[in-house]
Amino acid sequence: MTKRLTLGMLSLLLVFSTSAVVLAQGYETMPEDAKIVELGGEGYEDLEPGVRGGTFYISVFGSGPKKWNDVTSHETSTTRYTNTMFRGLMMLHPISGALVTDLAKSYEISEDGLEITFHLRRINWSDGTPFTADDVLFTYNDLIFNEDIETDSRDGLELPDGTFPVFEKVDDNTITVTMSMIFRPIFNQLTVNIMPKHKLAEFVHKLNPDVPAGTFNGVWGLDTDPAELVGLGPYIVESYEPDQQVVMRRNPYYYTYDQNGIQLPYCDKVIELIVASMDVELLKFRNGETYAWGCRASDVPILKREEAVKGFTVTIGSGVYGTLWFTVNQDYGLGEDDPAKDQLRELFRNIKFRQAISHAMDKQSIINNLYNGLATPQWSPVSTPSPFYAGRDSYGGPVTEVNAVTYEYDLETAAALLDEIGILDTDGDGIREFADGTPVEFELNTNAGNTLREGFCLIMQEDLTNIGLKVNFNPVDFNTLVTRLLGGTIYQAVVLGLTGGDEPHGGSNVYLTTGGLHFWHYSAAEEPYEYEKRIEELFDLGVGTWNNDEAFEYYKEYQRLYASQDLGMNFSVNQAYTYVCYNFVGNKEIISPVTSPTAVNSIARDLFFLKMD
Amino acid sequence: MWGMACSPCPTPSCLETRISQVTSYIVRRTLYMLPLLVIVSLISFALIQLMPGDYLTRSRLNPDITQETFDEMAARYGLDKPFVTQYWLWLKGIVTRGDFGTSFETKLPVFFTLFMGNRLLWTLVITGSTMLITWLFAIPLGIYSATHQYKASDHTLTFFGFLGLSIPNFFFALVVLWILVALLRVGNYGLGIGGLFDNRFIDAPWSLAKLGNFLWHIWPAWLVIGTSGMAGLLRYMRGSLLDTLSLQYVQTARAKGLTERVVIYKHAVRNAINPLVSILGLTLPNLVAGSIVTAIILNLPTVGRAYFTALQMQDQYVIMGGLLFFSLFLLIGNLIADILLAWVDPRIRYD
Repeated sequence: MTKRLTLGMLSLLLVFSTSAVVLAQGYETMPEDAKIVELGGEGYEDLEPGVRGGTFYISVFGSGPKKWNDVTSHETSTTRYTNTMFRGLMMLHPISGALVTDLAKSYEISEDGLEITFHLRRINWSDGTPFTADDVLFTYNDLIFNEDIETDSRDGLELPDGTFPVFEKVDDNTITVTMSMIFRPIFNQLTVNIMPKHKLAEFVHKLNPDVPAGTFNGVWGLDTDPAELVGLGPYIVESYEPDQQVVMRRNPYYYTYDQNGIQLPYCDKVIELIVASMDVELLKFRNGETYAWGCRASDVPILKREEAVKGFTVTIGSGVYGTLWFTVNQDYGLGEDDPAKDQLRELFRNIKFRQAISHAMDKQSIINNLYNGLATPQWSPVSTPSPFYAGRDSYGGPVTEVNAVTYEYDLETAAALLDEIGILDTDGDGIREFADGTPVEFELNTNAGNTLREGFCLIMQEDLTNIGLKVNFNPVDFNTLVTRLLGGTIYQAVVLGLTGGDEPHGGSNVYLTTGGLHFWHYSAAEEPYEYEKRIEELFDLGVGTWNNDEAFEYYKEYQRLYASQDLGMNFSVNQAYTYVCYNFVGNKEIISPVTSPTAVNSIARDLFFLKMD
Repeated sequence: MWGMACSPCPTPSCLETRISQVTSYIVRRTLYMLPLLVIVSLISFALIQLMPGDYLTRSRLNPDITQETFDEMAARYGLDKPFVTQYWLWLKGIVTRGDFGTSFETKLPVFFTLFMGNRLLWTLVITGSTMLITWLFAIPLGIYSATHQYKASDHTLTFFGFLGLSIPNFFFALVVLWILVALLRVGNYGLGIGGLFDNRFIDAPWSLAKLGNFLWHIWPAWLVIGTSGMAGLLRYMRGSLLDTLSLQYVQTARAKGLTERVVIYKHAVRNAINPLVSILGLTLPNLVAGSIVTAIILNLPTVGRAYFTALQMQDQYVIMGGLLFFSLFLLIGNLIADILLAWVDPRIRYD
């Protein structure tokens, strides 16, 4: 018996000693190149230094991650984990959204503007291996620029002249990026997460011909033992239970410290509960199971009522990235020689018709009825939070809307515009007719099941009826809608939304005539209108300078030109960012729409802390 | 059963013939399954093709991805090939390599994607226990209802049965969770809703407390799925028993002076239960495919939920794998039902 006891004690001791070894991992002292965040200081004014410890619980909507590989990931259900595990040379500041250095300590741009030199931090991966220039070169040259690998990041790094920037090593901690031309948005693309060469090189066919081509695309899938995952970010995935939760533990080698020399992240663990229904997410938050949640506008009244009793705070922030719009097809029936279709297309091509629609759109009623008042009217293709938003006075300046091109909700003006172009109600039935007597009637589609867009369609239908246009609303399946939209000449009118970002050039695939998503006027690729040519020029000018103030002027002209002469899309409203967080969570102010349009910030999770014992 | 007076085959030799009959029957039925599954797969594959768009359509509106990248991905996934070629390649993979395809989303084999983690086990535990409970309640209540025909209690049971059947599961599940959170405020007692465990048990090893917590999380599923399946079963049992009770041998039994209890349980119920055995076989596929919506709301890790995700994403080979798996279960369920039926009812023969 005693023997057994001793044995038991011994094995217990053994277990404890090994776990002690695991826990002792990390830097012995703060590394020289550590990134120090001055909480309460510049850029972080509303934050405070916190304490370490505890587990942070949040919920995530959807079906959970699809893989742990950042390079081959496509969607946010995966990138919210990879963005926590990995870091890039540059990052978006969690509060201001400005581009700041991250893995790079600093950088210089050469005099001709064509070469950027990055000085890298001397820090370690989460397994203790040093991070070097080889990891950066591996990520860009062997993964992202490797045609064998499936990645969404490659397209964004292609320069307008079709070449790619060249990444070269100077020494272990210095790299250069050389470009054939100045391309300002390159810094946005340098936020791409860096992957560990020592862990992944063996799976890349180019570096290891023993493995078949395409092997890397399946690497770090959900079948990978999380113990294999190595990153530079604040948390590394520790375990995953499908449809239940993802557990992330702190990275002992994370390189960011607060001003008191405390290594971040503050919380020991983050547990994300995977929830497939937003209504259940709401209930879980109210039940105290999750600590923060990006609630919907419709949840705000319920949550506001419980704020005081349950000890949480609902915050209504500024606008988010993205657009919601109504568009008519300026290529409808093109090349079909059908006089009825030609007539409708010519009407859609008339700017006065699109302006009439803008005047008839009752944005206030959209805001009140669909967003519980938590939205603002939108007029520009660039979203409000972007520093290039033309409603600002200058680059990153205050939003005063002095430069805005807006269309007041005014049915009389709208009707007058239609009268002016000869679309009149000749037979007195309330519907306007073309010159030949056919009533103006068209079909409006959106994707079925999206209640917000369906609501917008119904409001539009009513608004347009008010000015004598007959609209037949027909919601269709999302994929059908996309096929119609990209088909170019099939659809008549559509309501839909697009994602956006801080960099206006991100819209080049949409707003340039050559863009794959220029679906309101595809034929412009061959025969662009004058304003479309000018927009093209402004995009080129905007990327061709390192000077943001200069670029701002180009993008301002583009946004005003789009709203006054193109109006390919009639923008509706911009949703305000709403979130709710328990009061015992410290630094909840970093939950910002700028860096996390849809969910609780995955970039700045290192700053949350728990105020309770 | 053999050795009992009512057994159809009292002698051992007769039993042997019967067993060999059963074996050859099972073999025959199993062989029939193969062409059936091929036909099922062909029809399902065609149906998937009829769905508008494909796996890539969802990301078509992403401004960051160019047309060239889409074309490249379509070629990589084989989505640019005609339907017949895609089907042929898929079938060839199964026959030659036992490869049922790879998920577009996870890049892992389809069955791994569907069963990942302990999904299959959890599914069987959750739906199995729910089925068991439903049957344990439905059969006695059905018998009670039949023996109290047209009485107030019969009407009440029927009313509640149909109420459970007519409330949509997703709605009922949400209502249950809402009552727990907003009215009973279970969060104040440290209790969670949905999922398998409370937060504090997620990382903990198995213990009695963890088991208790599991039961706390599973009862809403029993309630929601159970009440929706109860009405049908209850009415079947009631109807079948009423039919039997009007038969002459029941009258004979009563005339013999047997107690009502013996008449009902020993004679009537034993015969009335036959149609329910077929139903049992037919509900077997629900073990793996059933209650998708409830699993979504109650956050339970089931194969059905994984399959639903694949449907949403149009991850076509995972959909195919799921359909094949569910069809196989359906066929096996049918087979088991037929065997059971012959076992409980000696009048049925295997030919």
